[in-house]
Amino acid sequence: MPLRSTTAAWKNLREHADQLSSNHISDLFSDDPTRFNGLTFRTGQLLLDLSKQRLNQTTLHNLSALAEEADLHDWIEALFTGQKVNCSENRAALHTALRSPKASSLTVNGQDIIAAVHNNLDHMRRIVDRIHQGQWRGFTGHSINTIVNIGVGGSDLGPLMTCRALAEHQSGAANPVQVHFVSSMDGSQLSELLSQLNPARTLFVLASKSFTTIDTLANAATAREWLRRSGHTTTDDMLTARHFIAVTANTAKASEWGIPPSNQLEFWDWTGGRYSMWSAIGLPIALKLGMDGFLSLLEGAHAMDEHFRHTPFLSNLPVLMALVDVWNINFLNIHAHAILPYDGRLGSLPAYLEQLEMESNGKSVTRGGETVDFHTCPILWGEVGTNAQHAFYQLLHQGTESVMCDFIVAARRYQTSGSEELQHQHRLNLANCFAQSRLLALGDSILDNADTQPAHKRYRGNQPCSTLILDELCPFSLGQLIALYEHKVFVQAVIWGINPFDQWGVELGKQVATSLLGALENPESTPGFDQSTNGLLAAVHAKQKGEA
Amino acid sequence: MKITVWGNQLLAWVAAAALAESGNVVALVADQTRTLDELLSKTANEPGLSQLIAESYESGRLSLATEQAGLENTLHLFALNPDQYETACLLAQKLADKHKQQLLIINQSNFGVGSSDKLQAFLKPQAQQHVAYIPDMLAEGTALRNYKYPDTLIIGCEDDWGQMSLKALLRPFSKNLKQWMVMSSREAEFTKFANTGMLALRLGYINELANLADKLGVDIEAIRDALITDPRIGPHYLHPGCGFGGLNFQQYIEALAELMLESRSSKLLETVLTENEKQKELPFRKLWRHYNCNLEGRTISLWGLSYKPGTPSIDHAPSLKIISTLLAQGCIVRAHDPQALPLIQEKFPDEPNLVLCADNYEALNNSDALLLLTEWPEYSSPLFDQMHARMAQPLIIDGRNLLDKPLAQSLGFTYYGIGR
Repeated sequence: MPLRSTTAAWKNLREHADQLSSNHISDLFSDDPTRFNGLTFRTGQLLLDLSKQRLNQTTLHNLSALAEEADLHDWIEALFTGQKVNCSENRAALHTALRSPKASSLTVNGQDIIAAVHNNLDHMRRIVDRIHQGQWRGFTGHSINTIVNIGVGGSDLGPLMTCRALAEHQSGAANPVQVHFVSSMDGSQLSELLSQLNPARTLFVLASKSFTTIDTLANAATAREWLRRSGHTTTDDMLTARHFIAVTANTAKASEWGIPPSNQLEFWDWTGGRYSMWSAIGLPIALKLGMDGFLSLLEGAHAMDEHFRHTPFLSNLPVLMALVDVWNINFLNIHAHAILPYDGRLGSLPAYLEQLEMESNGKSVTRGGETVDFHTCPILWGEVGTNAQHAFYQLLHQGTESVMCDFIVAARRYQTSGSEELQHQHRLNLANCFAQSRLLALGDSILDNADTQPAHKRYRGNQPCSTLILDELCPFSLGQLIALYEHKVFVQAVIWGINPFDQWGVELGKQVATSLLGALENPESTPGFDQSTNGLLAAVHAKQKGEA
Repeated sequence: MKITVWGNQLLAWVAAAALAESGNVVALVADQTRTLDELLSKTANEPGLSQLIAESYESGRLSLATEQAGLENTLHLFALNPDQYETACLLAQKLADKHKQQLLIINQSNFGVGSSDKLQAFLKPQAQQHVAYIPDMLAEGTALRNYKYPDTLIIGCEDDWGQMSLKALLRPFSKNLKQWMVMSSREAEFTKFANTGMLALRLGYINELANLADKLGVDIEAIRDALITDPRIGPHYLHPGCGFGGLNFQQYIEALAELMLESRSSKLLETVLTENEKQKELPFRKLWRHYNCNLEGRTISLWGLSYKPGTPSIDHAPSLKIISTLLAQGCIVRAHDPQALPLIQEKFPDEPNLVLCADNYEALNNSDALLLLTEWPEYSSPLFDQMHARMAQPLIIDGRNLLDKPLAQSLGFTYYGIGR
């Protein structure tokens, strides 16, 4: 397969980019008084404004031709129908099936997976109901009121981000629960948390697809040790049965660890970790929001799936977002992408999208095994916008890097709070959101007397920005938003010809760490690593010996 | 005297019956209760009450009246539920509109401190229209006796004419009277709160001590016996057990706890309430630990479902929580109570794993444990050999410390009490 960069559509876009390069975004607005209407797109509770990007309608048509050339239609169908789109691991990527309604069906490997998904949701509902009714009892017989999710990567970031984003939508259950997240391998999050919790009323959710993730198993072992030292009077088996739930694709391993089948929620190898918050990995979300809230999140994502699958490219939000990113990365040479939610509730969204985008598309080899000769996933980072304004916006406005920015904000907030001051804060927040994208895109051309300013006070602008407005932040709209980014990532991967569903780049480090663990546990051994590593090991051993 | 009693709860029924018995002509305005039969069926569980109502009705001194007719009298007794404060205000307004001269409203409803003053604001004091407050001191099971033979009457009324009218009305009930205490209605309302709160604190404290005794391996009953010899402490409301219940008691404490929290940020009574809810499940927790945190498929017997002996009432009774919890853990529950079975049946319809037994020994068939939750006298000296023969596991969890522990143990039972 020839690289995408050799195709006619790609070359066409390069020429188009050369022609357009002399145009500042402010020129593009001057040229076209209907620009906003022509470059604004809506589906469900989301509005996407692309008018502050460095492009015009011709660009979109040329990009659409690139998508056609990449057989995007066929790839979308392949994704939805369970084809083995994850070629290096020879399996499907069916996160869309996790949010399909009960009435639909999809057969994969001879199994109707929609039925299996809904059986699993039913199991999840039984567990959630039992906990919310106060009938999940710990070793003393008191009801569980605290959940600690132990997981890392996809088993942590999605549920964590969603629970924080939707905390206002907490379930009105009779026995509401506190939900905490622990991920770091070094135990620092866990040890601090455990000092504040009551073991008799704490339930741990061990979320690990493989149930071999060392980060999670190390934290789980510490949690179980804490329970064992709590002064309980039950047997060890029963202690595990009453205080641990496993969410895993490897039920055999979970059983071996001591978790009974009734406490195991399954998910499947066709669910990638970073696409798994819709599966049983979303248990903490369901515990926080209630099952109905969780289902509403799934409905939002499903609405985006339908939009993505059935809408022509030029009004298809995920396709447009992906194509605009490709335009910025490959034709405008922009390799940094800032995620700027103007909403404190979305504080964990940048970290979530860092994994989704960079673990999916941080690749340089095509599906056919060839090394690409173009850029793929940019460096992606972000922060709550109003806080980032006091941190890295200086670089965005006056640095040497071109950066594309996603502004994300809710139109409505605090309207039923009864607080005029909070509503004022939201207006202040919106004003800042719109002001920053305006200044980044248009520069100081928006001022009358900009050219009289000294050089260090000038804003050159021309940083391309997209704005996503949610009607309001709720389970449905968040579901739509996350599915939007998932599909955007997939479309980019199709254009670049890479596989977004594997992550071979995170494997080798684990093996190397295992070999180093031996050296750390046996200070007397002679390590045979590189000079730097040997030196670092020696330095640590010396310190540990000295202080013992 | 002619008097209208407003309300459809125990106090209203008892007051109407007792006042009619002593010669007054009583109009009872009881919401939805329109016929004598309905009234008799509602009052059937309170000893002596329905009989007295029937007699008074027969004599013509007690009638069930419409609101319109009820408003005609100039003497009124409000025995409304705590959530009917709006109704009380409306009635006071209507009465003030209707009557130009003397009017006395005796408020016995639990609307909180200051509410009688608010009702007074609707009336014309210059025309001798007054609200007096008398706390409701009835206990279910002995309500009629409490009303007719009080030791103490607390009268919240500062008006001379009002006091005089009250004295005349209550004269027939003053045979045993040791104290006639007059104060402002606000003080009287506060006194009722203070009284209830004190009792709740004593119960909360003895239960806390009992739970501690459990941990320390001492018998709370020995501690209690010693405690109560101190005349400053005395014996009342110091029985450890699996939590208190009852509609009125709970309502008063909740209202006082809320008042303390809001006006003083004090969690004193809120803590008592929270701990009491936990205490209600204590027998379950003892069972849970005995069977290694797994009760799936066990048959569990319950003796005593009402919140206290002598009444069928199950309001806030520990049995409600215990039944729900046992069913959720996959148990078969076999339950007995001398009076409360119909109400439990109503509360838990369509529960195939809840078997209500008319005979307390029948409830023990094939049982893995007996949980004793209400200290009905008939449970206090049971036929242990018959119990042993029926039970699959001779395990007793005595939520009221009713049984003789050494005796039960000597007969082969495993026995857990509350703090012993």
